[in-house]
Amino acid sequence: MLKEEREFLAVFNFSYLNIQPSCKDKGKEQWDKNQDSETEMGNKQTIFTPEQLDAYQDCTFFTRKEILRLFYRYRDLAPQLVPLSYINKPDVKLPYELIGSMAELKDNPFRQRIAEVFSEDGEGNMTLDDFLDMFSVLSEMAPRDLKAYYAFKIYDFNNDDYICKSDLEKTVNKLTRNELTPEEVSLVCDKVIDEADQDNDGKLSVEDFQHMIVRAPDFLSTFHIRI
Amino acid sequence: MEPRWAQTGRDGPDDDDWGQQQPPSSLFLQLPSNATLRFRGNVAKAWGAALDEGEPPGAPQERDGEGAREQESVPLKQLPLCMAEKRILRLREQRVAWKRSRWEQWQVGMRHLWGQVRGALLYAQVWRGSLHRIEGHFGTGIQSYFNFLRFLVLLNLGGALLMVGFVVAPNAAFEGLQLNQTQRGQNSMVNRSCLQYDPTERGLVSYFTYLMDLLSGTGFMELTHLFYGYYQNSAVDFVGFSYNIPLAYLLSVLGYFSVCLLWIVHRAVHLLKRSLVGENWELSTYSHKVFAGWDFCLAPGTAAAMKHNSLRYELRMDLEEQTLRRLMAQRSPGQRLALFSLRGALNLLVLGLLGAAFYGVYRATEYSQRAQDTSPGQQGLVLGLLVAYLPSIVITAANQLVPLAFGLLVRLERYPLSLEIRLTLLRTVFLRLSSLLVLLFSLWTQITCHGDPAADSCRICHYNHQQHPCWETSVGQEMYKLLVFDLLVLLLVLLLVEFPRKLLVTHGPAPLARLLGQQEFLVPPNVLDLVYSQTVCWVGTAFSPLLPLLHAAKFILFFYLKKLTLFSNCRPADRTFRASISSFFFLLVLLLGLAIAWVPLLYSVFVLQPSQACGPFRGEPTMWSTLWVAIDTLPLVAREFLQFVGSLAFAVPLFLLLCILMFYLMALDHSYSCLVKELKGQLRLEGQDKVFLVTQITELS
Repeated sequence: MLKEEREFLAVFNFSYLNIQPSCKDKGKEQWDKNQDSETEMGNKQTIFTPEQLDAYQDCTFFTRKEILRLFYRYRDLAPQLVPLSYINKPDVKLPYELIGSMAELKDNPFRQRIAEVFSEDGEGNMTLDDFLDMFSVLSEMAPRDLKAYYAFKIYDFNNDDYICKSDLEKTVNKLTRNELTPEEVSLVCDKVIDEADQDNDGKLSVEDFQHMIVRAPDFLSTFHIRI
Repeated sequence: MEPRWAQTGRDGPDDDDWGQQQPPSSLFLQLPSNATLRFRGNVAKAWGAALDEGEPPGAPQERDGEGAREQESVPLKQLPLCMAEKRILRLREQRVAWKRSRWEQWQVGMRHLWGQVRGALLYAQVWRGSLHRIEGHFGTGIQSYFNFLRFLVLLNLGGALLMVGFVVAPNAAFEGLQLNQTQRGQNSMVNRSCLQYDPTERGLVSYFTYLMDLLSGTGFMELTHLFYGYYQNSAVDFVGFSYNIPLAYLLSVLGYFSVCLLWIVHRAVHLLKRSLVGENWELSTYSHKVFAGWDFCLAPGTAAAMKHNSLRYELRMDLEEQTLRRLMAQRSPGQRLALFSLRGALNLLVLGLLGAAFYGVYRATEYSQRAQDTSPGQQGLVLGLLVAYLPSIVITAANQLVPLAFGLLVRLERYPLSLEIRLTLLRTVFLRLSSLLVLLFSLWTQITCHGDPAADSCRICHYNHQQHPCWETSVGQEMYKLLVFDLLVLLLVLLLVEFPRKLLVTHGPAPLARLLGQQEFLVPPNVLDLVYSQTVCWVGTAFSPLLPLLHAAKFILFFYLKKLTLFSNCRPADRTFRASISSFFFLLVLLLGLAIAWVPLLYSVFVLQPSQACGPFRGEPTMWSTLWVAIDTLPLVAREFLQFVGSLAFAVPLFLLLCILMFYLMALDHSYSCLVKELKGQLRLEGQDKVFLVTQITELS
């Protein structure tokens, strides 16, 4: 997509969002509403072919009903961009600003990294496939190793396959909203590397991270989003 | 292990030092261990590779060797690949699939079915939506409390099903159908004064007596299915078998306890598997907080802001505790002696407080029982209720006030914060469960005249028949009163303490609001409340078969009331509550409560003589003897087998075998942890070797 087109769409979509009452409250309402309501199911045949639905069921942890519900959530972000039928496999990508404004991700300090890790182009613009993949990994049925692998990629800010001290500092700052002093942040990062680094190279590799996650039983319950 | 920075005295390893030792990364990328990473891949490469070539990177076949077959053992959904690659893999699998034999197809089909069943079961949980909302607004720590409450509701409903199905319902059916019941266990040698038991009120009954009876289980409520005294020692003969009521009663009570034990152990093991142990948990607090600290499912708005605050607070507290520990280690011997003597004195004070609380409970129960017998209907309503509920009031007061004192004292002892919390918790658990035991002990002294069978009141019937013509019902009534009082206290606290506090904080003057602060939902005291209630239920079930059902109803009410107060009055806790480990700990405390509840049960079944005026065991020497009589009617082989199993010749070798097994497992565990330590050291050396070798290679080339 050309740069000008992307900018145009971003502006267009922002203005679409501004029509509604304050995003913060709407996000909260939407979040609460989504937990209790049952969205009405459109005709499955017109959105996906049976083969597509089967493929999605096999490749994610969702049932048919949930896949359709997620499709409607995806479409709600930009109804004019997303067609109602995916039978012809349209190539539609939603810009990161829309994904980041979802109620489930809005206040998450790592939402940009999550979108970047799961998106095809690495910049946070997601297709429906990426969207489903993301929520499948973050659902409660995904096993720990899968989640640990993606968590590692999320916390690896510079994409060098290691979580080094600067990655950790960025993580801690995002977690505490920059309210700790730099000395405290540095101390915390040193302690984390001390605790988790097995092969003593001063940074965490995938194996170190996964080994540490095995000993963190809370990880499964905190690293999940219900949608 | 002492951290590196503490040893050198610097703040931490400088990045410069590492940079000089670090060889160029190009060589590192060629190492085999990095190749596995590249298979799972950098984002850009993996996408390109899959879509251009039409196949995923060739690595799966290299690594696994058996290609398609290996793929199926790991379901497609669990592979860390992007969606396009998974689709391609799926198509390849399907091409291979129809070449498979029927047996393998059936296996795959069953696995699919099992996955779908598990998914459906996950959906069908009770209160799923409420728990989800609580998790979103307050985090997983508080959600664990409600999870525990839901588990208790299910446990009680299951137990109620058992008790109602085998004891209450058949009795009601027999009476309703007016079936012929043959009396058993008629002992004509018993003294007639032991048989006098008539709790119904005669004559003019004042209106408030009904209310009192409802609240304390006396009067018209005493001779109902609710209490032990109503059931008869009889059997109903059907074609082919006879339904023996006392046997059914005994076996269903024992079965209920066993079912509870198995269920709790199963759940505890399930939780323990997730929180795998091998080493000290405390070794990884920082990494846990950084990587597993943020609840991804928090709702937008204030919940997220509070979470940021609590994480920051916690990290700061941990760093402070670190410096405190370092200071502590540097104390002089004189200071240490002073500290230990202070701690000893405070522990004595704690014991003194506990002793005072227990003595209060003991005297209150004694007084209450005696006052109730002498003049039940002549006191006013309020005074009568006060006397009847005196033990409950004293227990509840002790359970609320003494932990506050513990909290103050433990701060004087100057332990690190985590140890403080654990110590207070242990002391509170001990207080709550022991006060219940003291209540039971007090009842026991009255029923058996302090254990002296030759005392005046106990000579004729082997129990105090004047005060307690039907002693099992008395015990059941005490447990019933504890249940009712617990519920009343919750309602009163809600109405008179929590809601006014919230009103004061939001609409009152600012200094007062800041002083009081909004209420924090503390999980440990609330969970201990639940454990205490459940222990009361277990102790009372043998004497009041409908108690599990009442407790299930009470816990359901608890759920909704606590949810209401949580959302209206409380703010999230300052410290993150580690849900997983603590869930296991609370199940352990629940098991402790169950163990404590077994003691009075076994004692009454095996040792005490059942009341002769009431209940399904009248006329029998002990409750257990009905079982022996029933075993005698079985065929010879079964009888001998059961007698052997019950004798010492079987129990002692079994016990010895279990001890040996336990010691073996402990030794195994010790050897595994030594092995783990050694392997860690080796890994460290390997890492250093790798860095050294790569540096050499780059220098040489």
